[in-house]
Amino acid sequence: MSSASPASTVTPPPVFQVRGLTKTYGEGEAVVRALAGVDLDCHAGEFIVVLGASGSGKSTLLNLLGGLDSPTGGTLRYRDQNLGTADEAGLTLYRRNSVGFVFQFYNLIPSLTARENVALITEIAPDPMTPEEALELVGLGARMDHFPAQLSGGEQQRVAIARAIAKRPAVLLCDEPTGALDVRTGIVVLEAIERINRELGTLTLVITHNAVISDMADRVLTLSDGLITQVTANPQRKPASGLRW
Amino acid sequence: MSLLDRKLLRDLRALKSQALAVALVMACGLTMMIMTRSLILSLESTRDDYYREHRFAQVFAKLKRAPHAVTEQLAAIPGVAAVQTGIALQVTLDLPGMAEPATGLIQSLPERGELNLNRLHLRSGRMLVGRGSTGEILAGEAFAEANNLKPGDEISAVLYGRRQTFRIAGIVLSPEFVFEAPPGAALPNNKTYGVFWMPYRELAAASNLDGAFNQLSLTLVPGAAEQSVIAAVDRILRPYGGRGAYGRESHPSHTRVRDEINVLQGLSVGFPLVFLSVAAFMTNAVMSRQITLQREQIAMLKACGFANREIGWHYFKFALVIVVAGTALGALGGVALGHQLVEMYHLFFRFPQLDFRLAKGVLVAAILVCSLAAVIGVWGAVRSAVRLPPAEAMRPEPPASFRPALVERIGIGRFFTTPFRMALRNIGRRPARALLTSLALALATGILVVPSSFRDGINHVLDFQWDLIQRQTVFVALIEPGPPRALADLRALPGVITAEPVRAAPVELRAGNRFRRLGLNGLPAGSTLNRVIDAHNREIALPPHGIVLSAKLAEVLAVRPGDALQVRVLDGKRPEFSVPVVALSEDFAGTAAFMEIGALNRALGEGDRISGAYLTVAGGRWTEFLRATKETPRIGNVVIKQAIRDGFRKTTAESIGLIQKIYLTFATVVAFGIVYNSARISLSERQRELATLRVIGFSRGEVGAVLVGELTLLTLAALPFGLVIGSGLASAIIQTVNNEFVRLPLILTPANYAFAVLVVSVASVLSALLACRRLNHLDLVGVLKARD
Repeated sequence: MSSASPASTVTPPPVFQVRGLTKTYGEGEAVVRALAGVDLDCHAGEFIVVLGASGSGKSTLLNLLGGLDSPTGGTLRYRDQNLGTADEAGLTLYRRNSVGFVFQFYNLIPSLTARENVALITEIAPDPMTPEEALELVGLGARMDHFPAQLSGGEQQRVAIARAIAKRPAVLLCDEPTGALDVRTGIVVLEAIERINRELGTLTLVITHNAVISDMADRVLTLSDGLITQVTANPQRKPASGLRW
Repeated sequence: MSLLDRKLLRDLRALKSQALAVALVMACGLTMMIMTRSLILSLESTRDDYYREHRFAQVFAKLKRAPHAVTEQLAAIPGVAAVQTGIALQVTLDLPGMAEPATGLIQSLPERGELNLNRLHLRSGRMLVGRGSTGEILAGEAFAEANNLKPGDEISAVLYGRRQTFRIAGIVLSPEFVFEAPPGAALPNNKTYGVFWMPYRELAAASNLDGAFNQLSLTLVPGAAEQSVIAAVDRILRPYGGRGAYGRESHPSHTRVRDEINVLQGLSVGFPLVFLSVAAFMTNAVMSRQITLQREQIAMLKACGFANREIGWHYFKFALVIVVAGTALGALGGVALGHQLVEMYHLFFRFPQLDFRLAKGVLVAAILVCSLAAVIGVWGAVRSAVRLPPAEAMRPEPPASFRPALVERIGIGRFFTTPFRMALRNIGRRPARALLTSLALALATGILVVPSSFRDGINHVLDFQWDLIQRQTVFVALIEPGPPRALADLRALPGVITAEPVRAAPVELRAGNRFRRLGLNGLPAGSTLNRVIDAHNREIALPPHGIVLSAKLAEVLAVRPGDALQVRVLDGKRPEFSVPVVALSEDFAGTAAFMEIGALNRALGEGDRISGAYLTVAGGRWTEFLRATKETPRIGNVVIKQAIRDGFRKTTAESIGLIQKIYLTFATVVAFGIVYNSARISLSERQRELATLRVIGFSRGEVGAVLVGELTLLTLAALPFGLVIGSGLASAIIQTVNNEFVRLPLILTPANYAFAVLVVSVASVLSALLACRRLNHLDLVGVLKARD
């Protein structure tokens, strides 16, 4: 590592640096190896799509990167922080300040309006945008005061994205963000994610079963049996609006 | 075991702490119900058996002196079944090693055979029968125990100025002295007051009553009119100095047992009802949540062909397990506490045997009542679950819809934090549940106010009765009313600083057809030792003409200041006169009437006489003073204020202390159960929401705050209501407990309120923390993946 090199001439240090990452669940005969030794570097502004069958380990990888779980072995660094050895409070702080999550089932707080769901984060994050800005970014400026039950699935997912990015996270982790949506709505949601990635330079990882989405990515990782079996770099990212499935 | 039952067991295991919380609240209600009903059964059956087996009389009378021949006249009164006449004599006792003088009541045993009525129960030693046994005596158990006397021990008494020593032949009990307290005293003082029996001949000789009697008891034939028998007895005894016959309902020992049973009866309904209602609500909350969670399972069962009835029964059985656990715990608690309280009753009541008898009928009723509570609790939830068509039920429930809370709609919502607004909206979405939770917490708070208000009431009475009204060190009663010179003699006793005379006479006060018999007290107008005080703590100066009544007596007689009262003196020259009621005094024990001593003496027509005196005595010469009173034959009775006060504190404080502990436990259980249960249900319903908050970076503490925010609001809302409910409960209970003999004022202090608030708050915080511990086990990843 050339720590003294001028920033302009070399690639900046990766956001994530993963080496020999393993994760096992259970003990003895019942042991399940979810990750069997993953090496990976992710850089700021990258759009990465992770593909793989059920049980391939892609969700485990996302959970470890997001600080929802701790690895069994290997190293996992986020910038200067060793996430593998961080304690509960350290992981909470990491999630609070640096990571945005988007889930398949949105997970909005039903008793809060769209604006308030976003404000929940902006109240605790160190340098957030306003809830209004975040909702404008996902195209929901007009429906800010609606409760989740009054919003469509796509709208709910866009609120979830606004909530995830309102803190200006370094990383945006999306787990099947379009899994519960129809094509048209799914594309609207993907456009929102794409825009965040482009305009804010947020490192974005999207887990999906849907191979079509990989056309949007800079890199596509394929997982199988807890290992990265294939890495494809797209010379040209396709805009979300051009996708069809 | 069917598979559904196996499912039931596993579901129960998963919900065990919540089921336990509900069962505990239910058990509290049942404990109270089983304990009180069993105590009522124990006291009533023991009392009735004792009365029957020992032939407790139904009408009683005291008189100056009547020859034996009068007995036949009494027996001939229509309606009289049996007569027992005898002698009762108050004496001063001399106990070695005891400084203060003790008094005793010696009653006669018949010359032939056993007592016909009010038969004695031999505890140890042997019975005295017939004429023999000179110098032997039977002693009542309470006194013997308090003074550690056994058969064979000796005791000295001063009978009409002559000191005699007796050997105790046996220790006995009498149905007349189940509650063994000095005449007119509210509480027993077993160390300095005892009852004794000795053969008629010896007692008659000592009291110059040979061939005569001065007290009698009667039983009535079934269906006889007690009032007309009493009137006939009074008529017959008038020439012999009769002091007025009275029925069992006015018998001092009997009324105390009866009042205690009345208090238990009051407690056996209200409190259990409160607890069981809370338990029913909790069952409903737990079952509703359980059924919501198992919505898809219910749909599957229905799709597989299970009938609504079978599914309903399955969930009802779930509640039934809680009922059975609650009933078992409640029965155990009721029996355990009942045994403790029976022990406490030994302090007050003397029965040959007072055993705890479990009211088995109540146990059956308890199971029925609780099952009913459970059915009510489960009914609605099961009905809505089984009514859903299976296809619909298999789909997840639509997301909960919310709207802004009231405070937000009126525009002040922006002043609140987001978690606070979430709590408000959650309450707004389920107002009935919030209301019931709050109500249950309010009841827990209220339950705590009651025993403390009892304690404060008792302290108030102690201060009022013994600091404000009675300022003497001792009250000394003469054996017979004496001349004014007697006061000078008392004043001359060693250590006496001040002495104020009192003249007392047994009277019947009558207003229209209402009457009461009691001792009328004559006090000096400016009496400073035993003062007459009104409701505003102002001293009432006794006027030269007119009578002052205690407020309760005025209420009983339905008279007000200005009304006239007929006074019939039941002693001496037995004059009758009319006096105006001039003022009402305040006191908390018994009923009382006062006149200025000169006015009373004039009305009695026996010249200037005193019955006794209130004295203050210098502390340094106390032993000397007591020795002197023991050696003064004229003194019949010495009442030491401090001794009564100590006795009161010991007995009453002990029982109130026990009741307070019980209430404290119960209220804590309710507060704990309600908060824990609510937090757990909230946790289960909002698992996904809370997990999301954790994932997006909220700390455990912050998520915990969101979880308990709603409960905090409900608790805060409940506390003031609880204090209001508690004040109402205390007032209602004091109303039912209060009677002519003992009254408690309703005293509600800030300290009492603060204590109730503190206990409920602490219980709530602890149980919320316990529930929050489960946040540690929140499966962040799993919860987010699944759709609820």
